[in-house]
Amino acid sequence: MSLDIRPVVSSLLRNRTGAVLVAFQIAIALAVLVNAVFIVHQRIEKMGRPTRIDDANLFGIQIAEFTSRFNYDASMHEDLAYLRSLPGVVSASVSNSIPLGISGSATTVWTQPDSKGQRAQINYFSMDEQGLNTLGVPLLAGRAFRATEILPPVTLTDTSQFVPQLIVTQVVAQHLFPHDNALGKTVYDSRGNPATIIGIIDNMIGTGWGGYEGIDQVAIMPQLPRLYGFDYLVRTEPGKRNAIMRTVEEHLSTSNPDRVIKSVRSVEYYKKLLYRDDRNMGVFLITVTALLLAIASLGIFGLATFNVSARTKQIGTRRAVGARRGDIVRYFMVENGLITTAGILVGCALALGIGYWLSLQYQLPRLDLYYLVGGVLGLWIIGQLAAWQPARRASTVSPSVATRTV
Amino acid sequence: MYAYYVRLALKSFGRNRGLTALMLGAIALGIAVCIMTMTVYHAMSGNPIWWKNDRLYAVTMDNWDPTRPERPQYPDLPPAQLTYKDGIYLLGSNIPERKVLMYARQSVLTGGAAQRKPLPVSTRVTTSDFFSMFDVPFLYGGGWDSSGDQNALPVIVLSKEQNEKLFGGINSVGRTIRWDDHEFRVVGVLDAWSPTPRFYDLNNGAFSTPDDVYIPFGWTRTLEQYPNGGDTSCWRPEKLDTFADFLGSDCVWTQMWVELPNRASRERMQGLMDGYWAEQRKAGRFPRPRDNRLTNVGQWLKDQGVVQNDNRLLVGIAFAFLTVCLLNTVGILLAKFLNAAPIAGVRRALGASRRQIFIQHIIEVGVLAAGGALLGLGLGALGLWGVHALYVTNSQVDTVADITGGYQQLTHFDPISVFWAVVLAVVSALAAGLYPAWRIGRVAPAVYLKSQ
Repeated sequence: MSLDIRPVVSSLLRNRTGAVLVAFQIAIALAVLVNAVFIVHQRIEKMGRPTRIDDANLFGIQIAEFTSRFNYDASMHEDLAYLRSLPGVVSASVSNSIPLGISGSATTVWTQPDSKGQRAQINYFSMDEQGLNTLGVPLLAGRAFRATEILPPVTLTDTSQFVPQLIVTQVVAQHLFPHDNALGKTVYDSRGNPATIIGIIDNMIGTGWGGYEGIDQVAIMPQLPRLYGFDYLVRTEPGKRNAIMRTVEEHLSTSNPDRVIKSVRSVEYYKKLLYRDDRNMGVFLITVTALLLAIASLGIFGLATFNVSARTKQIGTRRAVGARRGDIVRYFMVENGLITTAGILVGCALALGIGYWLSLQYQLPRLDLYYLVGGVLGLWIIGQLAAWQPARRASTVSPSVATRTV
Repeated sequence: MYAYYVRLALKSFGRNRGLTALMLGAIALGIAVCIMTMTVYHAMSGNPIWWKNDRLYAVTMDNWDPTRPERPQYPDLPPAQLTYKDGIYLLGSNIPERKVLMYARQSVLTGGAAQRKPLPVSTRVTTSDFFSMFDVPFLYGGGWDSSGDQNALPVIVLSKEQNEKLFGGINSVGRTIRWDDHEFRVVGVLDAWSPTPRFYDLNNGAFSTPDDVYIPFGWTRTLEQYPNGGDTSCWRPEKLDTFADFLGSDCVWTQMWVELPNRASRERMQGLMDGYWAEQRKAGRFPRPRDNRLTNVGQWLKDQGVVQNDNRLLVGIAFAFLTVCLLNTVGILLAKFLNAAPIAGVRRALGASRRQIFIQHIIEVGVLAAGGALLGLGLGALGLWGVHALYVTNSQVDTVADITGGYQQLTHFDPISVFWAVVLAVVSALAAGLYPAWRIGRVAPAVYLKSQ
């Protein structure tokens, strides 16, 4: 079956403007579609990254002490005992920061004293012996801290101290000891104080403070936090988190007049904030791309409709001299196919160009060609669908039209 | 004549309702998307104190580790903050007309007349020039004098919002309040003030709200507490066993800004910094190459990456979108006008000049553009409301409004963006109509007067 491209082409060449306009719309739509889908897919992957902690059942309580009467040890003992006594609470710990939250602390360790050897920046959590269990992060090797190993908080007079033991994530262990098992090895802080790695945990997501790069380079330190403030972290049984949060907020906000509860929020809340910009970018890109496709397909539809109504007489003539309905439909579909293909060719170049420019400008990965193939197929189908109804209408033109004047 | 053309235009719209709706919708959507992205971009990249752009300078000195920069993502920048000792040294200079050294703390207020529960707030601990230097408006009272730069004067300035929470919005100057359990006297209440981006301290996010309360910098030594409201960054393995050690350390945690009225004073200030740098370097500090900077606000916002890549990308996509919408409109207009070419042919035969045919059609386009612009403004407002909702849905009212507060500013319908959007709408739609109107003006009347 011949598609009879020649007459379609020569008719298109005689009436270029409308076709060129539609082809350009298709080109831009393809370039935006392909790159937008590529970016959205990256964001979805980022948001879906496993936290490797029990984030659905965790919540954090931010505390601020504000009078000199505040008794840190007594208050902490009382609060933790209360939290751990609540039915539905799996475990609770004090912590210097809340996982996936916006504030945190970091330090650097080396495999040799005097800042020599392999180096790793670690985002650390100062917690007590229930810390690991509260986070819910899997312990891959070694052991958790014992109650006797938890150090009192750093004060103004011993800020230069370091902890004697560390638990680190797998990625930190590999960073520091690429060829060895890190368990039991010694690392040093910038002042040369040693610490032994006694446990290796799964690559949990730490705090968003300091950027998303290296967010899983986490360490747990066996020390109570205080100097930069402290929080409580509570892990509950599934489904009980919200009720416990309400109870806890009510009790703690009146139980001690020398400190104040700044907030009681779920870790899911912080997670949403951490990925807020990515989510919003995704929503925006999807909306704009969908609208763009809708407008481009309406443009195709509009042009085809116009062509059909402008050519009613020719169609009638063709029908009168023997063209079948199928021939008429085919003519318009081929015409649309040619325009769409031309647009797609320009669009491919545009999409690759933009993708390349974005990868240079914004350090994005290079555009994956699968996206381009998908975009080409998608636009081609959209083009044919948009032209289908006008082409069908054209085929219903009666041959008798040819014999009428106007 | 023109009224007649407008009437003709409206009639023509009535003939092709579907196509007209499609064009209106396309123009309006294109404009709405542009308004949304431009508003957000404008707020993000705007300089909130542009009238002082040639006077205000952020002071930075690169005191960092010889082997690596402070922030790996900005390898060519010195740290954004100063050490306490360098800040104090530069504060002693008389070269700047005004100078500010400051940092943020988390603290708790008690004893307000209208506030029963202790109120967690963010506090700016700052030298006295802060208010005059950044043109901060006062509702009641004022700041404090420069003796507060060294001494722990028990005076406090409240933001408008905090004054409402603590005292129900009355003139609270002269009242006392407890700040972290120390007694303070209220000396001033600010009027609404929310520079976006919060250029003077970007630590807690460029779009966070300004601080809740302000106290004199002289409290730093008295309090003997680490600054827990911002960013403290250290690199040197030095002894940190007392608060004095901390103040004398190479840790950066204070922000410094100076007001330099002219080029001469700027050069003198740069000279002072470079001289101090050389002297300190001899004593073993500043191991990195010399990089002492005075950066104006516009450059500062660029350097510190306040406008995110995402937003630049969105503006680009918005313009691609508008282009598609306009191409679409050109195509439909062309088809529509040519479809009605016989009528234009008759008009030409009856004596209408090409010019008149052109004007008639460009007026039709103009009416369409105006309608599209109006609709686009409405849609844009709706869209901004949607963007706003996206940012605030998952953050109920915060006790410390540090997380989302400033995003409200980003999604305000500001007059400048609206003005540009209208200009954009009318110009782009007219441009879209130019070619079709010209084409229709060129039709040869004879063709349409034949029997067909």
